Parts: sequence; structure tokens; C-alpha cells
Amino acid sequence: MLEVMELTKRYGKTLAADGVGFTVPDGRIGILLGPNGAGKSTVIKSIAGLLRYKGSIRIQGHDSRSLEAKRCFAYVPEMPYMYDALTVREHMEFIVRAYGVEVTEDEIRELLEQFELEDKQDKLGNELSKGMMQKVSICCALIIRPSVILLDEPMVGLDPAAIKELKEVILKLKARGTTVLISTHMLEMVKELWDVTFVMDKGRILGTYTREALGEEDLEELFFSVTGQSGKNREAEMPVARQKGV
Amino acid sequence: MGAIGYLYRRILANRIKMALRRPVTYFYIVVFLIYMFAVPMSLKVLAEEYRLDAPDGMAAVLTLFAFWVIPANLIAYARRKGLIFRNSDIHFLFPSPTGPKQILLFAHLKSLVAQSMVLLFVVCCGGTICGVPAWKLAVYFFFSLVVENVLEGSIMMLLYGSERLDEKRRGLVIRGAYALVGILAAIGIYTYFQTGLSFQSVVGFLHSDLVQMVPVIGWYISVIHLLFIGPTVVNVTGTVLYFLLTAELVMAAVRMKCTGAYYEDAIKFAEDYEEVLASRRQGNTEKRLGKKQKFGKASVVWRGKGARALFYRQLLEYKKSKYFIFDLNTAVALIAGIGLAWLYVEEGGFEAEIFTNFVIPGLSAYLILIFTAVNGKWAKELKSPYTYMIPDTPFRKLMQATAMQHVQNLINGLLITVPGAVVMGMTPMRAALCVIFYMALAANKLYALAVAEAVVGGTLGTVGKQMFQLFLQSFVILLAFLGAVTGNLAGGTDLAYLMMDVFLVLATAIFMVLAALNFYRMETT
Repeated sequence: MLEVMELTKRYGKTLAADGVGFTVPDGRIGILLGPNGAGKSTVIKSIAGLLRYKGSIRIQGHDSRSLEAKRCFAYVPEMPYMYDALTVREHMEFIVRAYGVEVTEDEIRELLEQFELEDKQDKLGNELSKGMMQKVSICCALIIRPSVILLDEPMVGLDPAAIKELKEVILKLKARGTTVLISTHMLEMVKELWDVTFVMDKGRILGTYTREALGEEDLEELFFSVTGQSGKNREAEMPVARQKGV
Repeated sequence: MGAIGYLYRRILANRIKMALRRPVTYFYIVVFLIYMFAVPMSLKVLAEEYRLDAPDGMAAVLTLFAFWVIPANLIAYARRKGLIFRNSDIHFLFPSPTGPKQILLFAHLKSLVAQSMVLLFVVCCGGTICGVPAWKLAVYFFFSLVVENVLEGSIMMLLYGSERLDEKRRGLVIRGAYALVGILAAIGIYTYFQTGLSFQSVVGFLHSDLVQMVPVIGWYISVIHLLFIGPTVVNVTGTVLYFLLTAELVMAAVRMKCTGAYYEDAIKFAEDYEEVLASRRQGNTEKRLGKKQKFGKASVVWRGKGARALFYRQLLEYKKSKYFIFDLNTAVALIAGIGLAWLYVEEGGFEAEIFTNFVIPGLSAYLILIFTAVNGKWAKELKSPYTYMIPDTPFRKLMQATAMQHVQNLINGLLITVPGAVVMGMTPMRAALCVIFYMALAANKLYALAVAEAVVGGTLGTVGKQMFQLFLQSFVILLAFLGAVTGNLAGGTDLAYLMMDVFLVLATAIFMVLAALNFYRMETT
């Protein structure tokens, strides 16, 4: 379970997160939605333990900064950055050692095959494309068999096959009882995945919506109605597309 | 340390493997070995002249380094700087269940190989210049690599990683470091009033007991003095205090609570560092670590089309930039021009006439060679996809993208020439030829970069490319020199100037054509 309570973060005079609070229970997929500058990145980096903040974040009941919490927590950042001088396989080996997990050779091979990386395992970090890096990042997150996983715009840079694979993996994680939190702008991509959605703007959670409660309502419509971005505004943002009838 | 140790070992091993695959590495190894041998040999003469060719000379030099290095490190750590974190560390290491203290140690040990090389060099100098016995050098090597690193690592951990020291308290540590420097400066002033200013009084100050009593810095200096000069009451006491301090700080660092609050500052540093690295790779030298580049508001009236847009875009960028088209080269040219004029007046003229006649082109050539790595906007244009997409000829693109740089070179040429020309009473014709010399050689540097890119860019890497560029420029300077000699023999100084410029301009024109052809090749392949 992931619990965020009264999370507040300031950058100088700017209040990036203002008393943010939400919970994603075990075996559920949470989606963090919000326009640019809403404070999503601040919340995500705080959960990953990368920022100083006020409030409390608990991962499986442990303080998120504790080593116990980190052992069961995986993080896939929006921009993957590899070690230039480590191969794909060495990245995975490092993660296995850092998290102290027992992983068999077959499990590693299976994961690499799943994301079509088996022929790339000896490639160095600086030889990979952005999409490949994203796949390595996802593999490194999955290999530790996390209880809580945080994915920040995970579909960006992936090819359609990898997106399909990732969606299946996320559903498998859910079935296994893993807590999943995804931050994304690509609402289409998470349409069939989500259980609970948190809509953020201006550093605050504007609303929490479960799939059960929402029924048939579309996620996109919900997002625009909650954030106050009307259909008129959206039309104004897409004049070229409209003119051309796209 | 399992995972961290694995990371350190693999990165080091893979880097070595990658380096050994590149032929240029062997060239660098040879250069390094030559330096290891040649520099101590050339320094030996200097050391003998200033009577530093004995073990106490080594102690004096290391003392001087300690004055600079120890306070600088204290200040850097207190500001949560001085450790290099990369974006990959933030991605993989920071969120992992690796102790934040271990991560700090990992960052600290990243410089261990470089440190060992520097130490090896110091030991070589100590043995060949100062005649320090081998066992003392071995002890010094061990002390510096192990004990000093343990103390520095502990201080780093306590300052960088501490969660009890807030911004205000860290500021006090910075003031403390400045205070230590202040105490040393006060002792220096006291020594000056006691013994006057001479080289020997400075050496006396470096060996003084008072310096060795200053906390931390002085205690380190005590260890150095004990090792290289022999025991005194003061240096033995200082050494004991140094080791006690080390033990105490190690224990404090072990006990200290650290949950990773420093990550946020480390992330800022890593982002900044990667940005500076990326911008250096594109030839932008304006960007500084920790300082955000500021741009003002400006506008230009866009005229013409095609490649002309490159010129106006650069003009707009320059107008928004704080120093307009002036940069490091401008400052250097100004200082060199004024410095040369001052020296001429101060010395009452230079003795050799030939030196007076050619000192300005000589100085220009030297400075342009020294700042070979500063490549300006053309290197940046080559990295931008828009440069290739603009529908115009490669030659026009090259001309328009470098036009502003020629204006810059004209100004720099004037700055380096005019002060000296005025005080030396140079004719306007020769002064103008001096400016043309500067402009042509600076333009040559620009085009030599493109030629180097074409010839060795794919095989030798950035440093190899710069060295090849340096070689090309040295060759061109040699051509200009030959032109000057020919002109001087045929018709005197004026003809020498003319021939020198003609040779240089011709060589630059050839390089320009080669650069345009290379650009054409880059566009079409």
C-alpha cells in the first residue's frame, strides 16, 4: 500500500505541493492526473525519496525514506538515464545486488525477452536509444518484484509492442497484489488499467475517483471537467487540427 | 558495499576496456609518461634556482597546496558541492536501498584514480627534484591515499550528508574555513613585518611553527613537515592532533544520521553538471556550473532569407547575452594588449628590434593556440539539425554562420594590437596587418576545427580532435613564419608583414574551402 499524507513541498516561495494526500491500496492501480505544472513531478519525486518535504509518505507501512520501504519499492522515472559504461545486463546485476533479491538466470532472460532486449544485453548505456533505455529502466524496476511500483510517464518513447507488453505486465502486477501508481498525460493508454484516479492542479488534489463510482464516464471528460479546462478552451488550443478536419 | 563496489568495479573496468580499444589512448599514455619524466626534469632547474631541491622544498610546496586545497574542499562540501553525481546515479542509486552514506562515499571515491595519478606525479617530482628517500615517498603516498582520504571523506560526510546542519549552520562552517585562511594570512603578514618580503621569507613562513598550529590545515602541514623534514615538538604535536581529529571525525561520521536529505541538492547539481557538459560538447563555454545563464530582452530586424537567418539568429542571441559578442577571448585580448604596452613602457622598449617588430603577431598566435578548445558558435551550429535543414548552399551557410565571429575577431585583433602599436610607434599599415593576422589566424582556427572534424572526428574523440586542430594551426603558423622570413630577407619588415599575412590568408582560404566541402559532405551523406 502507498499512503501519502499532508505532503507539502516548497521551492523558495512557490508552493509545489500543498497538503497532498491519497492512498493506493494493495493490488490497485492509481493514476495521477494533472496539467503541466500541477505538481505531479514533485509528488512523484517525493515518493521516490528524492526531495525534502513536509508530511508523511508510507510504503507498505514504512517511512518512504527508510531502507525497508526502498527494498519493496520500484521507480521508473520519466527520463531514463543509464550509466554510460555499464551494459544492460550489468545494470540489472547492479539492481539485483542493491536490492538484495534472489533472481535466477531464467527470470532475467524471460524479462529481457519480454521487452525484446535479449540481443541488447551486452550494449553499453551510451549505445541505447531512448526507447531502449526506457525498457531497461522498466526491467530494472520489475526484477526486484516490488510491492509498490511508481511509473512516471512510462509509455513515452516505447514502441506499440512494448506499450502492449507493459500494459499486460501492469495488469499482472495488479493481480499479484502489487500497488501501482502511474503518472501520465496519455489518458488513452491507461483507460483499461486504472482503478482509482487522483486529479491534481496547482499543487492540490482536486478529486479522487474510483472506477466503480465513475461508472461509464470517460476519464478524459472527467479530467477536463475537474481541472476546469472547458471544451471551448480545447478547441482554441487545436485550431489547425479543427480546420483541417483532423 | 556489495552493490556500490560492483558498480565502481564495473564502471572502472568497462572504461579501461573502452579506452584500450581506442588507439588514441596509447598516444595519451605516451604523452603522460613523457610529462611524468619531462616536467620533473624541467622543474629541477627552477627548484635549484630557488633552493627548493631538497626534502624541505617538497614540504614547502605541499604546504602551499594545503593552503588552497583544504579550505576550498571545506567550503565546497558545506555548500553541498564538490561531489560529482550524474543523472544515472539519481535514476538507479538514489531510490535504491543503498545507504545514503555509502552513496556519498561512492561519489567521493570516483576521483580515486585521478587522485592516484596526481599523487604518483608528486612522488616522481619528490624523488627526482627534491631527492626525498623512497621510503618517505612511499609513506607519503600511503598517507595521502588512505589517511587523508579517510579524513576528507569523514569531513565530506559530516558536511554534505548531515541533516542536523541547516543552511545557516553550514554557512558558519564556510565562514570558519575563511577564518582559517584569514589566520594563515595574518601569520603571513606578521612574517612579512618581521623578515621583509623575499623568496626566502616566504619559504620561512611556509615552514613556520605558527602555521603548523592552525587547526586542521596546520595539523596536516605538521604531518608533512614531520615526514619530510624531521620531528620538532610542534610538528609531532600537530601530527598527533591530526590523527586524533581523523579518529574523532570518522566516529562522528559513522554515528551521524543520514536519510538522504542531500539528494535534492545532489539532483540540482547533477542536472546542472549534465547541462554544462552537454553545452561544452556543443562549444558553448559561457555556461558555468551552478550559475544559470541569463538572457535579456532583445530584437532584430530580420533581413534576407535562407542562410542569412543564421546570422540574424546569432545576432539575436548575442544581443540577449549579457556580454553581447564579447567573451573570454575578448578579455584575454584586452589584457594582453594593455599588458604588452605596459611592459614596453616599463622596460623602456625591448632590446631586440626583431622582437619589437613581431611581438604582437607572436602574442596573437600564442593566445589563439592556447585557447584552441574555445570554439564559439560554429561548433554549435554544426550540432543543430536546423543548420542542415535551411534551404541554402553549404558555402553560404558557412559564411553566414561565421560572419559574426569574424566581427568578434576584428574587435579582439584591435584590442590586442592598438595599445602596443601606439606605444611602440608602429605605422598604421603594420598595425592593420597585425589585426589582419589576428583575424586570419582566428578564422583559421574556426575552419581547422571543421577539417579536424572531417579527418579525425570519428576516430580520435574530442581531445584527439582538438590536438589535431592544434597541429593544423601550428602548421599554418609555421607557414606564416616562413612567409615572414622570406619577406624580411627580400625587402625588410613591411614586406615580412605582408608575406606573413598573404601566406596565412591563403592557408585560411584553403581551410575554408575544405570546411565548406566537409559541411557539404555532412549535409549530403
